Amino acid sequence: MNYGHPLTFGALVASPAGTPVEAVELARRAEELGYDLVTVEDRPDEPGLLDAWTVLGWVAGRTERVRLAPAALAVPLRDPAVLARAAASLDLLSDGRLELVLGRGGEQDAIEAMGGRRTGTDRAVAALDEAIDIVRGVLDAGEPRPLRHLGEHYRIPQAQRGPLPAHRIPIRLDGDQAPVLRLAGRKADGWSATLTAFRPAEYAAANKIIDEAALEAGREPAEIRRLLHVTAEHTVPELLALALEDGVSTFVVRADDIATLDRFAREVMPALREAVARELPAAPTAVFRPASVRAKRRPGIDYDNVPPSLAGQAVEPGDLDYARVRSTYLRGGAPGLVLRARSTAEVVDALAFVRAHPGLPFSVRSAGHGISGRSTNDGGLVLSVAAMNTIEVLDEQRRLIRVGPGARWSEVADVLRPYGWALSSGDYGGVGVGGLATAGGVGWLARKHGLTIDHLRAVEMVLADGSVVRAAEDENPELFWAVRGAGANFGVVTSFDFEVDEVGEVGWAQFVVGADDPADLLVRWGAAIEAAPRDLSGQLIMGRPRPGQPGVAQLMAMVDNDDPQTIIDQLTPVAGAGPLYQQNVVLAPYAAVLARAADGYHRAEGEPVSRSGLIEHLTPEFAAAAAELIASGAIHWFQIRTVGGAVADVPAGATAYGYRSANFSVVVMGPSRRRLDPLWDALAVHFDGLYLSFESDQRPERLADAFPPRTLERLRELKRRYDPQHLFADNFPIRTTLETR
Amino acid sequence: MTDYGHDLLFGTFITPTAQPVHQAAELAVVSDRAGLDLATFQDHPYLPRFHDTWTLLSYAAARTERIHLSGNVLNLPLRPPAVLARAAASLDLLSGGRIELGIGAGGFWDAIEAMGSRRLSPGESVAALAEGIEIIRQIWAADQAGPVKVEGDYYRVSGAKRGPAPAHDIKIWVGAYKPRMLRLIGRAADGVLPSLGYLANGADDLTAINQHIDEGAQAAGRDPRAVRRLLNISGEFAPAGRAFLQGPAEQWAEDLAGLTLEYGVSAFILAADDPATIERFAAEVAPATRELVAAERG
Ligand SMILES: Cc1cc2nc3c(=O)[nH]c(=O)nc-3n(C[C@H](O)[C@H](O)[C@H](O)COP(=O)(O)OP(=O)(O)OC[C@H]3O[C@@H](n4cnc5c(N)ncnc54)[C@H](O)[C@@H]3O)c2cc1C
Repeated sequence: MNYGHPLTFGALVASPAGTPVEAVELARRAEELGYDLVTVEDRPDEPGLLDAWTVLGWVAGRTERVRLAPAALAVPLRDPAVLARAAASLDLLSDGRLELVLGRGGEQDAIEAMGGRRTGTDRAVAALDEAIDIVRGVLDAGEPRPLRHLGEHYRIPQAQRGPLPAHRIPIRLDGDQAPVLRLAGRKADGWSATLTAFRPAEYAAANKIIDEAALEAGREPAEIRRLLHVTAEHTVPELLALALEDGVSTFVVRADDIATLDRFAREVMPALREAVARELPAAPTAVFRPASVRAKRRPGIDYDNVPPSLAGQAVEPGDLDYARVRSTYLRGGAPGLVLRARSTAEVVDALAFVRAHPGLPFSVRSAGHGISGRSTNDGGLVLSVAAMNTIEVLDEQRRLIRVGPGARWSEVADVLRPYGWALSSGDYGGVGVGGLATAGGVGWLARKHGLTIDHLRAVEMVLADGSVVRAAEDENPELFWAVRGAGANFGVVTSFDFEVDEVGEVGWAQFVVGADDPADLLVRWGAAIEAAPRDLSGQLIMGRPRPGQPGVAQLMAMVDNDDPQTIIDQLTPVAGAGPLYQQNVVLAPYAAVLARAADGYHRAEGEPVSRSGLIEHLTPEFAAAAAELIASGAIHWFQIRTVGGAVADVPAGATAYGYRSANFSVVVMGPSRRRLDPLWDALAVHFDGLYLSFESDQRPERLADAFPPRTLERLRELKRRYDPQHLFADNFPIRTTLETR
Repeated sequence: MTDYGHDLLFGTFITPTAQPVHQAAELAVVSDRAGLDLATFQDHPYLPRFHDTWTLLSYAAARTERIHLSGNVLNLPLRPPAVLARAAASLDLLSGGRIELGIGAGGFWDAIEAMGSRRLSPGESVAALAEGIEIIRQIWAADQAGPVKVEGDYYRVSGAKRGPAPAHDIKIWVGAYKPRMLRLIGRAADGVLPSLGYLANGADDLTAINQHIDEGAQAAGRDPRAVRRLLNISGEFAPAGRAFLQGPAEQWAEDLAGLTLEYGVSAFILAADDPATIERFAAEVAPATRELVAAERG
């Protein structure tokens, strides 16, 4: 019986306390020799050996590639919930190299002597069973509810889950007695044993117990990988028989010295590899998903026919990485499958798969900061191009750069900084290129240098039918026009060519001003902005008023000028819009301002509620209405960014981006759509359109707010030409027919 | 004025954040290269946003060369003492004697209980810590005859073999604020490790802390100088002096030297998660403080 797993080799390295360097020297040598795994014995009864977990942490810091495992961690002496977090940490720190091997910890006397509980053999296995559940439960960080485990041996009222490890840490069980074997069959990802503990034929019998227990539990026997500890004295024919007939896929040799390691690597490993390769068909490389993972699949998705180019990177609901990709910055999601493309060709493959699933929700995602949250969904497909994040300089003379959609704006800024360049993007470095550069891009340099899309010179994109096209002024100009403002409707952009600006150090200012009279502040700030030179772009933020506390607003501004006096001169009238409580002005590189971006994956829950409006002047009438809205408590976020200036220099119909004459872009966010929408709708009289990147309202009439009638008409025509089947419909879909209410 | 005459140590109190994954270990490397004496991490095994501190210490020790490392402070209720003692000795051996054992009796009992451990009253947790320290010291005392035997109310370790012996005399530093715990430190520990920010009256509270420790030590026939007074601090560098530890490096040095001469603090562990602050603390504050203290001590 062979279970079809590729053959791997491990070394059980000695870790004597008397010569502590030995363990790490052996581990490093094993890594050099091409061993796949290093294991360290955990013997709580043996002070002559170092603590295994500590050795593993140390070895992780001194190796790069080899996987690491304790040789049966003595579970009775470890708190399983703490152990799980330790495992996640070690897996993260080692970049996903940890495997867990758990055991009952040897002699009960020794466990008791060390302060552990004596349980008796049978109950020790029951405790191990619970420990596996706890470890898995803690590691299941994507599960929002805390872990509750009220068992016979462990009682955990409600532990938080996580951290999320770097990969799905396999849990093997070590032992040779029937209760352990049955537990391994039922629950574990692998079984670990020592060959010398068996008499001939006993090993096969043990395997059988595991297989039967697996089948009884509705699992495939192949889900349990077989690891066997052997000695360097075992011969190739002996091991070959074990691989072919008993399904052993990992041989771990006990190595107390470098000579043994070397000898096994030289004499046994290559010969055994060769013999196994001769006897067995190549182990399938397809991703194997156990029944427990497949159980979480969503209906209507042809999981088994994901294009091969994408299968290795695809994430489905039962996968560990699902927690990392399910949600976006602002919206909780539960997609049925996330396809992670690494190249244009893979985007083409992905779109073919999407076309084969008509009727399923489909989202395109770059860095997942879309405020509408449409880059995730419930039960549908997501195409993520986050991995396509390269940034290269194409032409230094022309300041031409090429950027992948998955890059984030902080990364773009960092690459441009040494050249003395910058590209105005948005205010936050975590935002992705793909979403922003297909919609607009209102940034810290907008008044001076225009929108991000105004710097776009060409794109490569994959259209709904899978064709790869370039769009620029001189090639597919209609598409190029549409991409700059309504790109999400026409395809997946796989690279952007931008012409960037020379930008040296900039003045960066943060003020806190009094806002007891918000309307007055808005009018004065608006007037100061409109009067300011184009060097200056900025924004104003107000939150929910707090009872009993003075109202305040945050003002931020960037001045694209490196002369301190000019910076101060330009900032003074803006800061004077209200009584100044705090100020901080520095000279900084543009990239430093964008650097404040959070790390880690998105964990939003629920739905974002955000509304947008573009407005020419902050009139007293608008200011009064806005003040009322802020006072209503229906919003917790009120923000105005400056546009105008160079943004308005571009003729209105030159790109699909709608309303260029506005000087201000207003955004509000609140907890409840039901409460906010009517209030915001009532403000409509003040606005000339909206900016789609800040809008979350899905009612179709928002399209008419985003695009002037002629633009929308032209977009409909182009939609008919480029995406007649409405493949790209996740984010403010343009219908080929007129919207009906 | 109480100065216990210890040489001064300077270290960092690094957030063991799990995200970005390697940030905490990298800051330990920065601390090491900057020439600091100590890199420490807090330990909250119930919080998933942090790394497991023991694992992080093991990894960070392997990435550093000279600096000593410690938990600040390890949570005893979730880390049974016999296993912890062997782990600490092991890491001390691996690192060539660079591990110290900062431990605490546990503070956030709701969270500890939620992880499945028993809630202890303040009095109980002092007794449990005393037993824990006893077990740890017995495990380390590999040269003594007979197995470890501590039959306590909270821990029973009976018959375990002793060892391994650590590479150096690992110091046991206890995070503590209250009289009973402080007296225990005087009796049985090598250092006290409070955070300045938790002291209701700031540094003034150190006088009482010192008194309790000194009493505990004297009652046990120990020299109060056997107990090092460490302190977690936080501050901000600024061009002009604004407040305690808010100002230029020279002012920091004066502030810290004051704590040494006035309250006998001999280890300053700065909460810092950015390399620039760590480097400045090492390059400017540490030598200047040492100089001021040396000048005063004569
Ligand atoms: C904190 C924060 C601050 C912001 N500040 C600003 C700001 O100052 N100025 C500003 O202009 N915007 C700002 N935005 C809005 C931002 O521009 C949009 O949310 C943008 O869509 C995010 O891009 P992304 O790639 O991260 O988003 P994603 O969520 O990945 O994508 C959003 C949408 O864009 C489309 N899309 C994504 N990738 C592609 C692609 N490769 N090809 C075609 N379509 C694609 C999809 O329809 C998707 O639903 C901010 C957003 C946040 C969260």
